[in-house]
Amino acid sequence: MMRPGPGGSAYVPAPMVIARAEHELPSVLTFTFDVPGGFHFHPGQFNMLYAIGVGEVAISISGDCAEPERLVHTVRAVGTVTRAMQSLGEGSVLGVRGPYGSAWPLDDARGRDVVFIAGGLGLAPLRPAILRVLRRRAEYGRVAILYGARSPEELLFREDLARWRGRLDCRLDVIVDRASLDWLGRVGVVTKLLDDTPLDPDDAVFVCGPEVMMRFVARELARRGVPGDAVWISMERSMRCGLGLCGHCQLGGSFVCKDGPIFRFDRVAPLLSVGEV
Amino acid sequence: MDDLERVLKAHPFMADLEPDHVRFVVGCAKNVRFRGGEYLIREGDREDTLYLVRQGTVSVELRRPGGDAVCVETVGAGDVLGVSRLTPGAAHLDCRARDTVLAFALDNTCLLEKMQEDPRLGFALTMRLLERTYDRLSRARLQHLDVYK
Repeated sequence: MMRPGPGGSAYVPAPMVIARAEHELPSVLTFTFDVPGGFHFHPGQFNMLYAIGVGEVAISISGDCAEPERLVHTVRAVGTVTRAMQSLGEGSVLGVRGPYGSAWPLDDARGRDVVFIAGGLGLAPLRPAILRVLRRRAEYGRVAILYGARSPEELLFREDLARWRGRLDCRLDVIVDRASLDWLGRVGVVTKLLDDTPLDPDDAVFVCGPEVMMRFVARELARRGVPGDAVWISMERSMRCGLGLCGHCQLGGSFVCKDGPIFRFDRVAPLLSVGEV
Repeated sequence: MDDLERVLKAHPFMADLEPDHVRFVVGCAKNVRFRGGEYLIREGDREDTLYLVRQGTVSVELRRPGGDAVCVETVGAGDVLGVSRLTPGAAHLDCRARDTVLAFALDNTCLLEKMQEDPRLGFALTMRLLERTYDRLSRARLQHLDVYK
């Protein structure tokens, strides 16, 4: 059954006032909406955000599901709609429909070692899952967070990174594609971090980033004995309705908006190299 | 020599190499230490050593037009430097120790002689070098795609 959105209908965006708008990077903005009644979602799900008079886009929720009174989205300016959103600030209004889509299978991962692998803005859809696992830390085995970015200047969620780095019960490894000589961290691609990460076929691995990066990561994981059925990825396609009706985001026999965006890697691997299905 | 053999065979590059072959390689190896800021390899210099890094971090650097250098990769314990130059030639980049780096330095000329002398050793080392070269090429290609742009 189709669930009504916060606007009362799955088709109608609810107007929401931006409580805070903070630049993570010059082209990446994090919007926080105060939702006194609570906005409940599962890590990995997304909302359709409507820039009034411009258009609607699917954006993953990047906030903490344990704090439902605050809805958080992190948006990068890449197209007409998201560029229009960059001019919005505190007090501006966006339309919100959702939450939609599948979630990271965090319950299935209980008792197992968990590895999060994020590339670039891919840390945003993984952030709710990381926060939840760290909040329920005792339910999981070892936890590793591997994060790759383009350069040191383009690292997201720096406060989170500092917090995670300071924890003794999880491991954070950060790497950047290139850096000037004053950067003291690691340089290279995110797959390089797998060299130092203990991996087991029974691990649960959650990956989010550009599709090509996820393919490289999955291939490296397979080479190191982690099968495709232990790897979950978050897919991105052009989504319009968010309900699996319009067909814009069709991926083989699935709709990314309804059956995804979180997919088990082995189920979608053959489709990843296909431009249009 | 026994100590060198013991620690050398613990390096991932030497994993599962036959004991006879490890002993063969030991004859070409010496322990080296670099302080932070020292160069293991300089662009343009004759590159005649294969380094097996044991400890510390090495910054692989390229100079951009205009003079400023960028770090294109960092390598650390378990990694190998100089993979692409088993035959002596000029280095195409700088490799600088970021902190104290301990490594095994394998003399390439000596290593080549041993590999020719014992083709089974030659094959085993060539396969390892090819694997490292493939890994580095694969990473360089992903880096080249600039996927987070």
